[in-house]
Amino acid sequence: MKKSIAIVEDERAIRDNYAAAFAREGYAVRGYPNRREALSAFAARLPDLAVIDISLEDEPEGGFELCRQLRGLSAELPIIFLTARDSELDAVSGLRLGADDFLTKDLSLAHLIARVNALFRRVDALRRPAEEKQVIRRGALSLDSERMTVEWNGQVVLLSLTEFWIVYALTKHPGHVKNRQQLMDAANVVLDDNTITSHIKRVRRKFQAVDEKFDAVHTVYGMGYRWVE
Amino acid sequence: MGRLTDLLNYGPISPFRLRTKLLLLALTTLALPWAGCQYAREMETVLRESEQQSLLAVTTTIAGSLKGRQELLFRADSLPGGEASNPRDLTPVVLSGAPLIDGRADEWDTDARNLIRVAGPGTDSLRLLAATHERWLYLALLVRDNRLVFDASELAPLDRDTLGDRIWLAFDDKRGGQQRLFFGGTGVGALRGRYIETLEYGREQALEEPRIEAVWQRTRNDDGYVLEIGIPLSMVGQHLGVLIDDRDRRGAARVSYGTLDPSDLRATGRLIAASPDLGEHLRQFSQPGVELTVASATGAILTRMDAPALPGDYTRFRGFLPRMYRLFLDGDVIPRSVTQAERERAAQSLTERAVKGAPATALIAGRYENSVTVAAAAPIFSADGKHIIGVIQLAQTADRWLTLRDRALTRLLNLTLFATLFAVGAAFWFAGRMTLRITRLGHASETALGREGNLSRVLPESNAKDELGDLSRSFSSLLGRLDEYTGYLRTLAGKLAHEIRTPLTIIRSSLENLESEANSDNARIYIARAREGSERLGAILTAMGAATKVEEAIAHSERQRFDLAALVRAAVGAYGTAFPERRFTCEAPAEPVMLTGAPDLIVQLLDKLIDNAVDFSADGATIAVSLRVDDESAELSVANPGPPLPDETATRLFESLWQSRSEADRRPHFGLGLYIVRLITEFHGGSARAANLPDASGAVFTVRLPR
Repeated sequence: MKKSIAIVEDERAIRDNYAAAFAREGYAVRGYPNRREALSAFAARLPDLAVIDISLEDEPEGGFELCRQLRGLSAELPIIFLTARDSELDAVSGLRLGADDFLTKDLSLAHLIARVNALFRRVDALRRPAEEKQVIRRGALSLDSERMTVEWNGQVVLLSLTEFWIVYALTKHPGHVKNRQQLMDAANVVLDDNTITSHIKRVRRKFQAVDEKFDAVHTVYGMGYRWVE
Repeated sequence: MGRLTDLLNYGPISPFRLRTKLLLLALTTLALPWAGCQYAREMETVLRESEQQSLLAVTTTIAGSLKGRQELLFRADSLPGGEASNPRDLTPVVLSGAPLIDGRADEWDTDARNLIRVAGPGTDSLRLLAATHERWLYLALLVRDNRLVFDASELAPLDRDTLGDRIWLAFDDKRGGQQRLFFGGTGVGALRGRYIETLEYGREQALEEPRIEAVWQRTRNDDGYVLEIGIPLSMVGQHLGVLIDDRDRRGAARVSYGTLDPSDLRATGRLIAASPDLGEHLRQFSQPGVELTVASATGAILTRMDAPALPGDYTRFRGFLPRMYRLFLDGDVIPRSVTQAERERAAQSLTERAVKGAPATALIAGRYENSVTVAAAAPIFSADGKHIIGVIQLAQTADRWLTLRDRALTRLLNLTLFATLFAVGAAFWFAGRMTLRITRLGHASETALGREGNLSRVLPESNAKDELGDLSRSFSSLLGRLDEYTGYLRTLAGKLAHEIRTPLTIIRSSLENLESEANSDNARIYIARAREGSERLGAILTAMGAATKVEEAIAHSERQRFDLAALVRAAVGAYGTAFPERRFTCEAPAEPVMLTGAPDLIVQLLDKLIDNAVDFSADGATIAVSLRVDDESAELSVANPGPPLPDETATRLFESLWQSRSEADRRPHFGLGLYIVRLITEFHGGSARAANLPDASGAVFTVRLPR
C-alpha cells in the first residue's frame, strides 16, 4: 500500500509541484490549502506524513496551530515544516511544537524527498526492535543511525532530523573537524552560516538539557566543528 | 574647557566668519563718541553764546549804573567839559601797583591809548606815558636824543640860555595858576624838580620842589634818556604838559618840543584821570575771573581791575587723551595763541565798536595757549543820553566752561570708549557662542546620518527657546522622518527577499518537476539555464536577508569569556586553506587575550574582513592580520595590498548597502559585509574604521574592541 503524504500549503502552484514530485516517488499525495480543510480530512483519516507551511491563507501562524492539533491526534506522525520563513524564532517554535524537521523552501525537491524517505525509514525502524549493529557508541553517546535516535548517558535527546544528521556527521569520525559545507551536505540542506551556527547551538542546548556539563561539540574557529569525547 | 574640546573635536569649521561680522557691527558703536562730540560742540556754542550774553548784560548793567555820572568816572579836576578832545590830552592808565621810580618804565602796564608821541627835530622824539596809582600821578618821558648834553643849570639855574637838555613840566595848581618846574639832567640818578620863584624887586631864584620825585636814566641802547616822575595828584589841576628844551651847542638855536606852548610854557592839554571813587564803585561789580576796564570816550583806558582769582582749579585738562579730543573738537572756534599786542588790538577794536554807541562782544585769545577770553563792551552815556562819556569793557576767561566741557567730554569719551569695548567684547563672546552652537548643531546633524544607520534623533540645542532651538527641532523632526524612511529601506530588502521566495519556489519546483519528465536535449539546456538563473536569484535573496539574519543572530547571542588571540590565530590558520591563492600573516600576542563577547560573531566579523581583503587584492598578495592589545582595548586589523580607498568612503564603508567596487563581479554583493562588521563591533561596544596604508599601497580595516 502506498504511503500517504498530506501537503498543507496555501500556494496552489507549490502544492501541486510538490504533490507531483512526491507522486513520482510513489507516494499518495493529498493537498490542502488551509487548516480547516486539512483538519476535517485528518479527522477522517491520518496521513503517514505531513508537510505543513506556517502561513496558511488568512492565518499567518496557522501551520503552528495545525501542527499542535496534529500532534494531539498522533504522537508518532512525522511532521515537516516547509516554509518561506527562515527566522530563528520560527524554527525554534516549530520544533518545540514537535515537528520532526524545519525546512525552508530553498531546499530542492530532491533534498526534500530524501528527507521524507529518511523519515519514513525511521518510522519503519522504530516499529522494529532495535538492532545493535546500527548503534554507534561514543562515550556517553549512543546513536542509532536507523531509528535516528540519540541517547546521552542513557537519556533520550530529541533531535530534529537536520540536527540528527549534523550530530551523526560529527560523531562518525570523532576529533575530525567538519566544516559547514560538510555538515550541510550531511544534513541534505543548503543553509547559510548563521543557520548552521544556530543548529549547532540548538544541538548543544538539547544535550545540555540532559547533562549540564555537556561540552563535546567544539568550535574550531574559521574551520568548523568537531566532536570531542 | 568643554568649549575648548568641542572646538578641537569639531575642528576649524571657519569659526571666525560670523564673529568677524558681529565684531564689525559692534564697531558701529564708535558712532556714539562722534555723536557725543557733535553734541558737546553744540553745547559749547550755546554755552559760549549764553556766556557772552550774560557778560554783555552785566556790562550793560554796570554801564547803566555809570550813566551820567561823570564825577564818578573822572577826577573832579579833569572833568572833560564841552571842549573837543585835544591831542595833548593825557590819559593816565591806572596801575594796580605803585611803580618803582627808577628811570625805567618797563613795568608800566601801558597801552597805546595812554601814550603821547611828539616828534622833535631830526630823529629826536618824545614819548610821554602817564599812569596813576592811588593818589599819585606818574609820568615817564622817553626821549630820543641824538646828542646828550648835561644841563649846566646847577651852575646857573636861571640862565634861560644855558647849555644842555632841560625838561619843563607845567600844570595847573589849586590856586588857579600854573606851576612850572624844570628838570636838568646832571647825571644818572634822582633829581629834584625846581621852580623859579620871583622874589621882591624882580629877583628870581630856583627852588626845589620836595613833593615831586624824579629819576633820570639813560636808555638801554643809549640813544637818549628816560625821566620818570612821581607827582601827588593833589597838586595837579586840570591841565598838564611837558616840554623838552634841547640846546646842544653854545650859540645854536634852542630846540623845544612837547605838549607845552614853547612861548609861555603854558599847559593846554588836559589830564583826564579816573576818579578815585571809580575803583570803589566798580569793586561792587567785581566777580571772580572777570577783568573790568573803563575807558574814556577816546578809548584811553581810565582804570582796569584785574580779575580776582577763580575759586577752584580751572586749569584746562592736560594729558594725552584730552589733547586728542581737543584736536578734533576745538577746530576753528578758538583762536590759537596770539601775541600781547594782538590781544590789545582786539580789545581796542571792541572798545571802538562800543564807542560808536552799541554794546559788543568778542572772543579774544587768552594769555596762555588754548585759553580764551570772552569780552563784552558797552558805552557809558551822559545824563541826557546824547553823548558817550566812556566805555566799560568786561573780560572773562572762558577757561571755566572750556574746562567743564573738556571734563564732560573726556568723561563721555571714556564712557563711550568703555561701552564700545564692552559691546565689542560682548559681540565677540556672543558670536563665539553662536558659532559654537551652530557648529555643534551642524556637526550633530552631519554625523546623525553619517555613521549611524539608525539615526540619533536627539540633537544639541533642542531645548533652546531661540531660533537655533527651532532649527534644531526642525532638524530633529526631519531626521525622524528620515529615520523612518531608512528604517523602511533597511527592512525592505528582508521583506522583499521573503516575498520573492514564494514565486521563486514555484519556479524552482516546477523546473525540477520538468526535469524529471522525458525531455528533448534542447529542453534540457533551457531547463539547466533556467535553474542556473533561479539559483542565482536564490543567492541574491540570501544575501539580501543576511543583514537581518545577523541582527537576529546578535539578538540571540550569549556572551562568554574567550581568548581572542587564540581565536585569531586559529581563524587565520584556516583562511590559508580557504583561500589558497592568498598568503596570510598573523601577528598576535602569545599570551591569552581574554575578552567577553560572542566568539562566533567575532569569527564572522573576521570572515567578512578577510572576504573584503581577498576581494580587493590580487592573487598571491599577502593579507596581514594583526591583534594589538592595551589595557583598555584590543585592536584587530586586516591590511591588504590593493587600490586605496577613496577619501570620502572612510566612514561610509561601514554603512549598509554601501560598496566601493568598480569591477563587475558576478557574485551578488550588497555591501553588507562591512555593515555586518559594524553590527558585530557595536554589539561588543567597539568601533570600526577604514584607512589607507601609509604608502597608499592598500587599505587597512581596524576594529577596536573594549576589553
